[in-house]
Amino acid sequence: MNFWQRMQQMDRRWVYLMVGISVIFPFILPITLPVSITPEAQMLYDHIEALPDSSTVMLVFDYYPSTIAECEPMTIAAARHFFEKDCRVITLSNIPLGGPTMAEQVTRTVAEQYGKEYGVDYVNLGYKANYVAVLSGMGQSIESIFPTDNSGTPLDELPLMDSVVNYEQIDFIFEVADNATADYWVSIVNAGYGVPIGCGTTAVSAPKYYAFVDAGQFVGLLGGMKGAAEYEQLIEQEGDAMVGMGAQSLVHLLIIALVIVGNLGFFVGGIGRRKGAK
Amino acid sequence: MKTTVPIIVAFLAGVALVLAFFFDQRTLIGSLSQELRVWLSIVGGFTLLLGVVSITRVNYAAVKQRKEGWFFKLITLVSIFVMAVPALLPSSWSSLFGRQEGSIYDWLFLYMDAPMMATMFATLAFYIASAAYRAFRARSPESTLLLVTATVIMLWRVPMGEWFLDQLPGDIPFFLNTYIMNGINMAVQRGIIIGAALGAASMSLRIILGIERTYMGKG
Repeated sequence: MNFWQRMQQMDRRWVYLMVGISVIFPFILPITLPVSITPEAQMLYDHIEALPDSSTVMLVFDYYPSTIAECEPMTIAAARHFFEKDCRVITLSNIPLGGPTMAEQVTRTVAEQYGKEYGVDYVNLGYKANYVAVLSGMGQSIESIFPTDNSGTPLDELPLMDSVVNYEQIDFIFEVADNATADYWVSIVNAGYGVPIGCGTTAVSAPKYYAFVDAGQFVGLLGGMKGAAEYEQLIEQEGDAMVGMGAQSLVHLLIIALVIVGNLGFFVGGIGRRKGAK
Repeated sequence: MKTTVPIIVAFLAGVALVLAFFFDQRTLIGSLSQELRVWLSIVGGFTLLLGVVSITRVNYAAVKQRKEGWFFKLITLVSIFVMAVPALLPSSWSSLFGRQEGSIYDWLFLYMDAPMMATMFATLAFYIASAAYRAFRARSPESTLLLVTATVIMLWRVPMGEWFLDQLPGDIPFFLNTYIMNGINMAVQRGIIIGAALGAASMSLRIILGIERTYMGKG
């Protein structure tokens, strides 16, 4: 058995070990590298930057805790950008498993950094079941769908919601999703009510949404942790995504190296086997 | 009766919501559709409850009969109620109840639920690496094309890979974004999106007209 044939039969635990080391190493010795900005991320940033100060925006937490590493840096960066521009932020989620809690945690933490007050500068509407009904219902009245906020306070007791009835008072929506809810924000809210929407999504979902950006239905797109890192770089506030880029870089390079080695083994080892057979 | 009533409800609700697109929200049909959406949201809430009842019944039966893996099912049951019950109790009774910061629910979510879900998702990286090493082979022209495209896109999506691509002649990142992501990828994705939308529209029409009855457990 030659080297390539042995490589073909390498125990998968060695692969797991290499992946583990590649993930852990950059967190022990951080590798911070500049990321290039894609046009889609730049478009999103430019749109938010062009919003008038004190605009009312929605920040939607449509992701599960499983994709927190990719999606949360996007929501944190967006919340920072919104609060920096003195925007009034309304958060909500169409995800029952942890969506409202993540919204609460992110906005509260960022709001404290900017000295923002709950009920005046930001509100967490929480979760309501059946996102198609929720998205279309808010077009007529947000209060009819969310009579109270996430902690049970009636909306009419929250000063921010005094002037917000439906989508007509919303200047921009930033949807961060790891599932198909982003499609419904396009088909119901953008197409039906003309509200500009930006999207942040996982790297695996991002290719689908280039079509929506091209059609103007999304004003911009952040794809995966790289997209989040681009946005952190645009707002000049380094966060978890920039730190995570080191680990992601090494793992991507490792996978590419494994694919090359695997293919070399496949061809060279295969030729060796055929020669051996003769 | 069991079939006719759901079909009539589906037909009336479906037609009202379709017609509402063509009417002002202040009209009777507009306000009716808004009311239906609120109902829809409430019904959606009950489906969550149904899920809890169903998972409790199935797991309770397995634990009671000491079926294989009963201990894990017991953990599932305990987890559901330990997480749900304190969250449903009013926070006015104790700061540990409800879902606010510092509550039992909040603590369990932040320090157990979220890390466990993220860990489960992260283990995919190990399997993907192993699978890529064993199965991603240039066996045919099509698979070679996929392999080369995937490799350069993976390189482009990380700073170290970008740096490497920048050392090569030509603006490869620009090419990848313009011709692969916004060209070939987008054309294919549009086809899939349009196909799925047409499928969803025809399925909706079948349900509204009572042709599709599988949602009632009938063929």
